[in-house]
Amino acid sequence: AEVSTQSTGWPEIRNTLRAWRKENIRCSDKTVELGEYALQHYSASLGNEKWAVYEQVCIAALDMCPAKMKLVNKCIQVLSEQFPSSLRVSMLEGLKFEYLKKWDAALEMYDGMIEYEPTFPAPYKRKVAIFKAQNKIVDAVNELNKYLGTFSCDHESWLELADIYTTQQNYTKALFCVEEVLLQYPHNHLYHQRYADILFTLGGKENLEMSCKYYSKAAELNPGNVRALF
Amino acid sequence: MSEVQISLCAYAKLLSHVVQYPYAAVNGILLTKDEKQGEDELLNIVDCVPLFHYNIPLAPMLTVALTQIEEYASNRDMKICGYYHANEYHSDNDVGPIATRIADKIAENCDSSCLIMVENEELNHIATSLPLTAFLPVWTNDRIDWKSCGKPALQFGQKGYGIGPEIIKKQIYRSLIDMDSHYDDISLHWDNAALNEVVKLYAEGLMGS
Repeated sequence: AEVSTQSTGWPEIRNTLRAWRKENIRCSDKTVELGEYALQHYSASLGNEKWAVYEQVCIAALDMCPAKMKLVNKCIQVLSEQFPSSLRVSMLEGLKFEYLKKWDAALEMYDGMIEYEPTFPAPYKRKVAIFKAQNKIVDAVNELNKYLGTFSCDHESWLELADIYTTQQNYTKALFCVEEVLLQYPHNHLYHQRYADILFTLGGKENLEMSCKYYSKAAELNPGNVRALF
Repeated sequence: MSEVQISLCAYAKLLSHVVQYPYAAVNGILLTKDEKQGEDELLNIVDCVPLFHYNIPLAPMLTVALTQIEEYASNRDMKICGYYHANEYHSDNDVGPIATRIADKIAENCDSSCLIMVENEELNHIATSLPLTAFLPVWTNDRIDWKSCGKPALQFGQKGYGIGPEIIKKQIYRSLIDMDSHYDDISLHWDNAALNEVVKLYAEGLMGS
């Protein structure tokens, strides 16, 4: 349902922002509209949740730049004052460098963060994003493979790697990545369906038969999966 | 002189699709009237069907979607006449291998076809020009080379450019349904009848002025 600052009450705005944070949904224009409104009018009601909203609004506002650069700077300033020397706030500054295409500054920042805290996954992933943005696909793939060597349970990254391999039409490697995700989440119909999609695209009699099996599994797990039913 | 013309309706849907998913590659199918066309005649794109914003290179849903679109088009005296593609990265305006493969397949199955690439960097200037480049197929032995023929002409010419900023200002793009959204929720239909109506009213306004 359409949510807007004009027609929606406060609890719904807060719940919508929460849901978008939890599910990592990217609808930056709406996030900025609702988030800015919430921070201006309901800062007290948000309590400690407001710091998460500042972070969420900052990231969404970067998608809306240059129009929303003042908002980005404000969010970073507020969060830096509240959480001095926080890695999460440094990530936002790195994202701002990325928007400004200051790749070297961003990479230097992320390398520094990795050296300081090697178990914090976010800067590794941003490095991959920087290579992707520069269309340096080989570097992006190498970096992502290196990351997955250490953080092999990160299903989001396996899926990202599968996406990159798919766009490069390297379907065999994409299959391997989805298999890693299926090992962790064998009951997720979407991953079975994705595996089947790649098998179908690869083609050949055996792959088509196997893709039917995976589509059937996806439909069994979720009879509402239209793609599997087709 | 442009060899491809695009209607306000098709352009509005194409632009809405690109603006709705600015972080992703998007693609779609172009439709023309189902009439015999002379060799030197303009290819007139009258409508389009936005396809995907996710997993574009994968074949199965493309196959299903094309079957559905063919049926839909033939019931409305239209036929498939091309393919549009917007790359994921802002600075990447090249005709990549995925776009070429799909456009090739469409060219093999249609009498006349074109490929439209969205120029991501031109999206800043939609008030004054179309952020699109049209390509026509040139057959060499068994290969197809896609040769650029410049920007397509827009229905209503310069007067029509105003629809671009209108779509963004009034957030008309939010209501666009593409095939991916349809497969996620089958109650949503990809013919975008409501958006067609909005564009029709805008076009009537242009004709009256």
